[in-house]
Amino acid sequence: MSSRDFVYEKFREFYSSSSFKIPAPVGFSQREFAFLLFKERIMARHKGFASPPLLGSFIRQHVPSDVYYSCAYYETPEAEMDKKGWVGADLVFDIDADHIPTRCNKIHDSWVCSNKSCGFGGKGITPEACPICGGVKFDVKSWPCDVCIDTTRAEVRKLVDMLENDFGFAASEIHTFFSGHRGFHVQIENESIRDLDAMGRREIIDYVSGTGLAVFQKKTRQPKQKTGVKIFKLSDYGWHRRLKNGIRRFLLNATKDDLKEIGVKSRIDVILQNRERILQRCLEENRWDAVKGVGFETWIKIAEHIREVEAAKIDTVVTSDIHRLIRAENTLHGKTGLLKIKFPVSQLDEFDPFSEAVAFKEGTAKVLVSDAPEFRLAGQTFGPFQNKSVELPTAAAILLICKGRAEVVT
Amino acid sequence: MQLETVKFTSSEVAKYPFLKETTAHVQKIGLDVEDFNSPELTKILNRAEERVKAAILDVSVGDRSSDDVKIPDDVEIPSFPVAIIIALATKNSFIKKRYALAEAKQAHSHFQLESKQRLLAIARNFGWNIELNGASQPPSEFILNFADYLRNITHLRDEKWKLINRFLVNGKVYLNHHDVARLLQEEVQRRLEKRLDAKELPPFPRKIMDIAEQLNSLAKEKLGEVEMESFPKVVSQSAFPPCIVALHEAATKGRHLSHVGRFTLTSFLLAVGMPPEKVTEVFKTFSDYNARLTRYQVEHIAGEKGSGTHYTPPSCSTLQTHGVCVNSDGLCRRIRHPLAYYKQKTISAQPTAGRV
Repeated sequence: MSSRDFVYEKFREFYSSSSFKIPAPVGFSQREFAFLLFKERIMARHKGFASPPLLGSFIRQHVPSDVYYSCAYYETPEAEMDKKGWVGADLVFDIDADHIPTRCNKIHDSWVCSNKSCGFGGKGITPEACPICGGVKFDVKSWPCDVCIDTTRAEVRKLVDMLENDFGFAASEIHTFFSGHRGFHVQIENESIRDLDAMGRREIIDYVSGTGLAVFQKKTRQPKQKTGVKIFKLSDYGWHRRLKNGIRRFLLNATKDDLKEIGVKSRIDVILQNRERILQRCLEENRWDAVKGVGFETWIKIAEHIREVEAAKIDTVVTSDIHRLIRAENTLHGKTGLLKIKFPVSQLDEFDPFSEAVAFKEGTAKVLVSDAPEFRLAGQTFGPFQNKSVELPTAAAILLICKGRAEVVT
Repeated sequence: MQLETVKFTSSEVAKYPFLKETTAHVQKIGLDVEDFNSPELTKILNRAEERVKAAILDVSVGDRSSDDVKIPDDVEIPSFPVAIIIALATKNSFIKKRYALAEAKQAHSHFQLESKQRLLAIARNFGWNIELNGASQPPSEFILNFADYLRNITHLRDEKWKLINRFLVNGKVYLNHHDVARLLQEEVQRRLEKRLDAKELPPFPRKIMDIAEQLNSLAKEKLGEVEMESFPKVVSQSAFPPCIVALHEAATKGRHLSHVGRFTLTSFLLAVGMPPEKVTEVFKTFSDYNARLTRYQVEHIAGEKGSGTHYTPPSCSTLQTHGVCVNSDGLCRRIRHPLAYYKQKTISAQPTAGRV
């Protein structure tokens, strides 16, 4: 049995079991569904279903490797794209380790130049071009690990904080999901934002990702007052509040190197010796010239750094796309065999995808692992493996096969 | 939320004829567009014509008093829907745009003078989720739901309108009287443009068609010889904006481009007149270059394949959102679309003599 047949068979078993159920998204019959088909390796799009059971039987019949539905609501979801009749869309955020540099990239991600006569490779984030031959196509091996998850989790935390406190969504309206691979989805089905166009959504993206923040830009610089003191007030609302709190946290904990890293060159010692006084005078008394020689330029550097730290690193293309297809809840991810699953936003900190999202809980399989880092799944730790034949629980075997790190042994 | 029902007087409806109450007023009068021969209806028709005419000439809606006699409400109010019919009958997008803008500006000048309570009532008439700010902090007079806010800032350029530069607390944007008046102007314009965008039109009575025809020639005069400034025949690389320079360089060197980047570069090059074959060649240094597929994609963006839509490059603000905007220069600050940059630069490079 080939590895692909093995995975197909396991996916088929999973979807045929009585425990499999897709929770119906709001406006179910107005959604477009799409499926990546195992055998044909093509995307079957523009499907519509009147009811969840019909969707269930389609999945059982075709056993797709991935199941998606549109964040959009359509009059006729089965029509061609420009004839569907868009009526609205959920607000969707995608936070994925693929887009965020993490300290684990170097450990478990690798790439090999696809140019057959070259074959050069390395670890970490894939370069834009091969340093040897200049080629731009690579065979990439990535891996979902705890560090990836925790890095994206931190971004979700910032995003959720803004959605709750700034945008005023109730915790019950903010649906958080593990994506099934290396990140999270945050979805909002709220009626009030449904008809927002791409332009309106871009303002939301710019807000959460800190784009276009005018505070501290040269333009808003206040002219010198009579006394020669620059007056600038950071209020306690919106991004002002984030900047204010961020500056306070940063300065109270900053080391010499922290300041150097963000480009502060002179009078670092003075800043560090007078942190509390500086914070008092700047943030409370709005006197940004409290330290001689620490000018507005320095404050811009610090504020810029805080903006970076406070911004949530979302995939901007996903949120502005009002027709986007998103993975359906409780379905398998074709690259991992893990489930996309929902968890309460209040449990963001504790949620463990490597136990909660495991779909295959029974049996074992014998696989030949070419190369895999140590990993954790369903409470067990495996690996590292290098050209090794091992018998593993089904979920671990499927993860390795789907990630292209192992072949099934028959 | 319990919203109190606010009554608008007929003089208010005359001032703000886009309010929901207008329909009731017009029904009461029993306006029949087929019968414009009665003296009453002639007055309405004249005032309606005046509205559109003034819009064309100086982006206003004309003067309500003629010969020192103030036009009564029961003429003023129905003249608004009739003016819309006239604007529709011109089938002229310049006139329609201009008329919507004129009504919106006119309304704005009234909004600025309204009391807080009346402004609130008007905003709620549009379905806005808006309240008076009961607290002293943050200092502002109104609090508006952010979605209503976002719907109305699309065309406002100043960075102060960007949501990120607003006090956004618990889903509410804090605004002062001026802000609300300006956003209401946008709302009025948006609504009118939508009404004037009607695709299926009924046959119009002769009288309306005559007026429309006259207004069309007036618009032509006003516009003069419309300067349909097109781009120069030869693609001028030195006039590319910095973002396109960066994308173009990355493409010719075979460096990775994001999807948004590829789309921007392709649609830009096509828009400035590069033939699709040439655009396809730009991408050939990519190791995953597939001549047939690239040609198809380029032709799709050019509108020659697929849906037939001719795609234009994204605006500056979209490019900023997706991180495609780089190395912006002095000219970038004055424009908001990469094509405007190109146009400015090529025009300033051209000898001015040849242009009328």
